[in-house]
Amino acid sequence: MTPGGKALAEFVAEATEILDALGRDLLALDEARGQEADPEHINGIFRAAHSLKGLSGLFGQERISQLAHAAEDLLDRLRLGRLTLDDGVLDTLVDALDTFQALLGEASRTEEGPELTQRTRDMEDRMARLGSPPPAVEEDPLERLELDATVRAVFTEYEEHRLRENVRRGVALWRVRAAFDLTDFDQGLADLNARLKPVGEVISTLPSSRPGGANGIAFDLIFGAKVAAPSLEAALRGTPAELAPLAVRPPQEGAPGPAFDVPRPPPEDVDAELLPPDTDEEAPDEDAEPPGGSTSLATVPVPPIGSPPRMRAVTPPPTVVGLQAAASAPLPAGRPKTEETSLRSLTQTVRVDIGRLDGLINMVGELLLIKANLQRLAETSRQDGTVALSKLFGQELSRETRQLERKLEALQEGLLEARMVPVGQVFDKLARLVRKIAREAGKEIDFVSSGGEVELDKLIVEELSDPLMHLIRNAIDHGAEGPESRLAAGKPRRAVVRLRAEQKGNHVVISVSDDGSGIDEVRVREVALSRGLVTPSQVSEMTRRELLNLIFLPGFSTRASVSALSGRGVGLDVVKNNLGNLSGIIDVWSERGKGTAFHLTLPVTLAIVRALVVGVSGRTYAVPLNSVLEILSVQPRDIRTVERREVLDLRGQTLPFLRLGRLFHLPEHEVNRHFVIVVGLAQQRLGIAVDELFGQQDIVTKPLGGRLSRVKGISGATDLGNRRTVLVLDVAELLEEGIAQERRRA
Amino acid sequence: MSRFEALLDAFFYRPDEDVGGLLDFAAGSDDLAPPLLEEEPVEYLAFRLESECYAVPILAVREICKVPLLTEIPRAEPHLLGVMNLRGELLPVYDVKLRLRLADAPPVVAGPDAGLPPRAARILVLKTDDGPAGVWVDSVAGVVRLKPSMVELSPAGLRGDRDCVAGLGRKGSQLYILLDPEQALTP
Repeated sequence: MTPGGKALAEFVAEATEILDALGRDLLALDEARGQEADPEHINGIFRAAHSLKGLSGLFGQERISQLAHAAEDLLDRLRLGRLTLDDGVLDTLVDALDTFQALLGEASRTEEGPELTQRTRDMEDRMARLGSPPPAVEEDPLERLELDATVRAVFTEYEEHRLRENVRRGVALWRVRAAFDLTDFDQGLADLNARLKPVGEVISTLPSSRPGGANGIAFDLIFGAKVAAPSLEAALRGTPAELAPLAVRPPQEGAPGPAFDVPRPPPEDVDAELLPPDTDEEAPDEDAEPPGGSTSLATVPVPPIGSPPRMRAVTPPPTVVGLQAAASAPLPAGRPKTEETSLRSLTQTVRVDIGRLDGLINMVGELLLIKANLQRLAETSRQDGTVALSKLFGQELSRETRQLERKLEALQEGLLEARMVPVGQVFDKLARLVRKIAREAGKEIDFVSSGGEVELDKLIVEELSDPLMHLIRNAIDHGAEGPESRLAAGKPRRAVVRLRAEQKGNHVVISVSDDGSGIDEVRVREVALSRGLVTPSQVSEMTRRELLNLIFLPGFSTRASVSALSGRGVGLDVVKNNLGNLSGIIDVWSERGKGTAFHLTLPVTLAIVRALVVGVSGRTYAVPLNSVLEILSVQPRDIRTVERREVLDLRGQTLPFLRLGRLFHLPEHEVNRHFVIVVGLAQQRLGIAVDELFGQQDIVTKPLGGRLSRVKGISGATDLGNRRTVLVLDVAELLEEGIAQERRRA
Repeated sequence: MSRFEALLDAFFYRPDEDVGGLLDFAAGSDDLAPPLLEEEPVEYLAFRLESECYAVPILAVREICKVPLLTEIPRAEPHLLGVMNLRGELLPVYDVKLRLRLADAPPVVAGPDAGLPPRAARILVLKTDDGPAGVWVDSVAGVVRLKPSMVELSPAGLRGDRDCVAGLGRKGSQLYILLDPEQALTP
């Protein structure tokens, strides 16, 4: 599927959910036609329209976005009581929903028919024209409420409307005053609200004019009660709340008011009327969440069985239910072009909890182990004459095993693909943030992002957002200069911050760069020295690159250094650690006056990796193959020492060299040759000496868990099929140790 | 909207806000368990380390298993014996003898130099705040029920610098050293 197609499929999936929610609320309103509309539903629809507007704007779906905007307008007026919900409005909203569905249908086929465009415009006009204002009442009901004008002034428009509505309907209004201790007032207030909610509507919560004592805080809740005073008192028993009725004057003689003229306790059956019809109240909230909310789920989980059935579940399309089955692909040809009445869903996306995918991948891991065992059996039966099996049978068996292997690989690949999401998901969120940060920092920033279509494992993408945010914030706050100093330096007024993703083989490189003032390595050196992170003799031999990398040292950056070093490096060690957890590494480039760039190198997935199985002093370890560059066989005499540290000469270049057994304090014994695994990430190279090589295998790495997270050089453990747990080396960490050792000795 | 207003706005309850979670929270805090009047015996799991008898609250024990193959973790703290694979779950296994000064060096039970574990040895899988953890014991003695009056706080002389001994339980002539699992596993 093309990257664009995938983004579109995502949009269609999200939009469909929003429309589903909108439809549910609309249905509830429709069923209650002629009755007082439940404000919850109107609010729900309003929120849905708002989310849809944002979402479609984000994906460049102009027509949907504009129609959603018109609908949002209409609903806002409705919500604030500037428009009454009559049949005309309701019909318009229902028609609008149909139009949305049709638009989404065209969008999913990447079409834009003129006919529908016209219909959209008509719809927008119709919504804008709607607007018989509510029947004019000569006297604002609010005037009849004896409430201090200063109190009234702080109401939001919506709160004022709800209050007016309650007065008009003659609901008994109360002021619920409650004082709480400052230490736990939030709990107390929540408890109070929870008790009030079943018996009426909390219209507004205001800080009380009455002081709440030395350690207290008092609130006034304006409350419209659905029940009579005794039941209200009963409901509030045990809370610090004091009840005071809010007096309402009867409407003036002859005023064209509603039928009832004096405030009275509402009749008992009001309860039933005000209860929302059968919809799930929380649904709009959930669905209104912005696209790709930062949960760890792949997306929103599959709805529970009780929720309204989706039609796609009832009539599964003939195609295979791929996890990202192409919504962008043309829909089955038999479909009529104008399918407004079709109940089929537009999207064939299934949203899955990432935990389930993890479970499946683990399962494939186990299958691979069984396969390896089978393969071994087949091998022995073929070669070993002693096993009482016919040779033919052995050949058959090994052929079938190979078949199994291929299928398993395909299955594994498919599962891994299902976990892949475009990094654009994070980029979009960051783009929104940039505007905010730039405004706060008083900088003029152009934000350019590219490569959003590059795909990474969902878990990695989620974990990336914080480090990237950190780096971008740094780039804006401290990298980019203000407009004036930029002009003075002969640069364009607006600074450019770039975010770029690029696939490089097994890795994805994400870079955050700015064209600002760059990092001052002299200051870096001063700070590192003053903090005692390095010794003067060490820095004297450091290259500029090494100096720059000092900013990642823990303890380099503290709040106190913010001003000393223009804040560069705030918590960069944390960023580095976060990336380390993803088996990624970070590298910095900077040139004074020209800018700074951070390069993040990440593996594409962490779920299943191919690993090299090695032996050291009788122990077995696994090395992820994606970081292995080559393997050398080295005689002990080839190892040289430069100032007492061991190095290898690799085609004329000096390669830092590390004996794994020595690093891990394992008993050493003489060997007549070493195998040296050359590992590399970004520009760093290191040779790791081991005793034996056992071959390659696909492994599912399990993290060591909270208790062991501090163990260095080990990223997890895996099971190689002989029930023996084998540790997986953390190449990024070993590289760092190797380089650090070198630096220490230098 | 000013920052302050935004904060206030976020703080105040709105009529269309969902407080389901808070509701549950508030409901849970209403009925606390009634105080115990009678002395309820508490069940402990007793086990041996070297020649001494120890016990931990049985509710802290998830399961007991035979000693599987352990994989040593290079450069770990000395009291970490290694990791084990329990039905696909990766668990650290600790030695507490070092902590209790019953031994001077941790036993070599993981890696290629380890011999077969003694037949009676078991791993107790304990529930801790940082997830499950295994503890090596020389043998499991059984379940013992101790009333609070049978437990005395550990005499000051027995305490090390950190209190991994929570107290002493006495039943008949048998003395049980009660371990605080959380403390015992802290290096």
